[in-house]
Amino acid sequence: METDSISRQPQAESRQLDSAELVVGILTELDSEALMALRDALRTLPGSLRIAVLESEDRKSPSPIDSDSPGSSPIFSVPSLLARPNGSGVSPLGMAGTYQSVFAASEKLQSRACCIIASRPESATPQRACRLARPLMDGDVDLVVPRYARHKFEGLLNSSIIAPVTRTLYGKRLSNPMGPDFGVSRRLVQKILGAGQARRAGGNGLHPLASLAPTALCDNLTVAEVHFGTRLYPPPDWSNTGSLLAEVLGPVFLDIERNAACWQRMRVSAAVPTIGEPVPVREDASTMDTTRLLDSFALGNRELQEIWGLVLPPSTLFELRKLSRLPPERFQMPDELWVRIVYDFALAHRLRTINRDHLLKSMTPLYLGWVASYAHDLQRDGSVGSDQRLERLALAFEAGKPYLVSRWRWPDRFNP
Amino acid sequence: MWEQVKQALAQSTARFLTEVASLLPGLAALILAVLLSLVLGWILAVVVRRLLASLRFDERMAGWGFASLAEGSPLSSPTLFVSRSILILVILAGFLIGIAAFDFEWTSLLVRSILAYIPNVVGAVLVLLVGTIIARFVGRSVLIGAVNLNLQYARLLSEGVKWLVIVLAVAMALEHLRIAPGIVELAFGILFGGIVFGLALAVGLGSKELVTKSLERDAKRSTGEEVEDPLRHL
Repeated sequence: METDSISRQPQAESRQLDSAELVVGILTELDSEALMALRDALRTLPGSLRIAVLESEDRKSPSPIDSDSPGSSPIFSVPSLLARPNGSGVSPLGMAGTYQSVFAASEKLQSRACCIIASRPESATPQRACRLARPLMDGDVDLVVPRYARHKFEGLLNSSIIAPVTRTLYGKRLSNPMGPDFGVSRRLVQKILGAGQARRAGGNGLHPLASLAPTALCDNLTVAEVHFGTRLYPPPDWSNTGSLLAEVLGPVFLDIERNAACWQRMRVSAAVPTIGEPVPVREDASTMDTTRLLDSFALGNRELQEIWGLVLPPSTLFELRKLSRLPPERFQMPDELWVRIVYDFALAHRLRTINRDHLLKSMTPLYLGWVASYAHDLQRDGSVGSDQRLERLALAFEAGKPYLVSRWRWPDRFNP
Repeated sequence: MWEQVKQALAQSTARFLTEVASLLPGLAALILAVLLSLVLGWILAVVVRRLLASLRFDERMAGWGFASLAEGSPLSSPTLFVSRSILILVILAGFLIGIAAFDFEWTSLLVRSILAYIPNVVGAVLVLLVGTIIARFVGRSVLIGAVNLNLQYARLLSEGVKWLVIVLAVAMALEHLRIAPGIVELAFGILFGGIVFGLALAVGLGSKELVTKSLERDAKRSTGEEVEDPLRHL
């Protein structure tokens, strides 16, 4: 896609675009002013870098082509066919093709690094590309992931599954392994693209977004986090939670299967270098009405026993039935139970116990049950912050790793 | 007179014995064919059972929604079901071959007509099998989707959709077997229409609360009363 878009540029510009040192893919809606600010921010990068900014072609007011000013980085705007994730409820995971396109453009231009901005635009967005690019251009970092300052009910799918699983299995404490904003070195881009070609050839390819962190960590590449401030999250689409879960967890579980040899060797987790200063978040006193979540959990517990029975061991099913009989105000899902559920679903995904789409979607009521339990925990004990609560969960994931390893190695024999 | 009666009786006895004697080779061939098919079928059934067991066929079938093919029957294991079906098919084939060995006109006709009907039976069984697979898959999809939408009548909806597909598959199979086509069409129309009507009523009545809630939410949103949901998944 990007190859076409680049080739469709006027001849003079195409000649200028035979190479770049940094490629910045904008997968979000930025107005002309924000784009100008982005270019100004990129000019502050040290050295006189050739920078290509890939932006969506269908912007209402196309940005002007930059003219180089002496001593500053020459920046080329490349209108392309990049689709944006924030349009109609498309999650970043659904943008795999677009991420792949940006990586391919980066490789075509032989750039040293590639940054992608995909989160919803904010006032700080123009500076974010710079923050992602700087460690890549300055040092020997291969992957830069964002560390958002989050409110307690934001990014819960990431906090409850993706981040703790990444930490437990791959040994590095990344708060947002799935970005969606990223800075990627050429080395990592080549790995992802190489795997993409393998997938097209019928092999088991990598997901250009979900597989970035696992690939980097399993290949012992250097990963760093950058403090990014708050992030604007899309509001929940209650009619589509199951599809979101399937879309997000599918690639995560595939990576677990692909990297089994790697994660079974990992013993402990460690923090990664974090760049910048944390941005304070205003006091968050919001509460959540958990009625809908508990209704969903109870309904799932009543109707999906037949499916869960194929995935979860009897002890877990028994505990779930006990939970569903608790009065709403006393509802609390123990971390150990949630951890086992996630691991059992990952195993069932590997074994193809049932259709994978059914499997992942049937996990929705359990996830919503965990969210309700998390909300109750925070409301019950006001002194416990969400970060402390999530750290406790992450430790439970680490403590439960032997369970996953045993079930992974002997799925028939080890079935408590 | 008595001599003539004795002669006639002797002749008919001789004819009867000749007929019986002429049946004997065919009968022996039939018994042999059945015995051979029994042995062959048993060997095949054992081989297939072991093969399917090594392929974890039961678990795979359970994964596809076939935890038990015939719930409550001794053939609850899909592996057992397939191996027994093979045994029965081989014995049936041996029996037909044995019948054909009698070399009578009527047995030949019988065997020919049974053999000519076999493609219909195989087609009907395939239609039924595929229909059942699709029904279970679609039923499970509807169940999960409805639970995720928090619909209290998720099970009813899923069962309704599953039976719609099964009824359709059974009607198609019977049509294939050419069994009372007129009655099948009529019965199919009544059953299909009945299920659709029943589902429409159930969903319509069950959705009353859902629609009310949705309208209330819209009203609250327009007046600014609605508190924004703080939850963000990803």
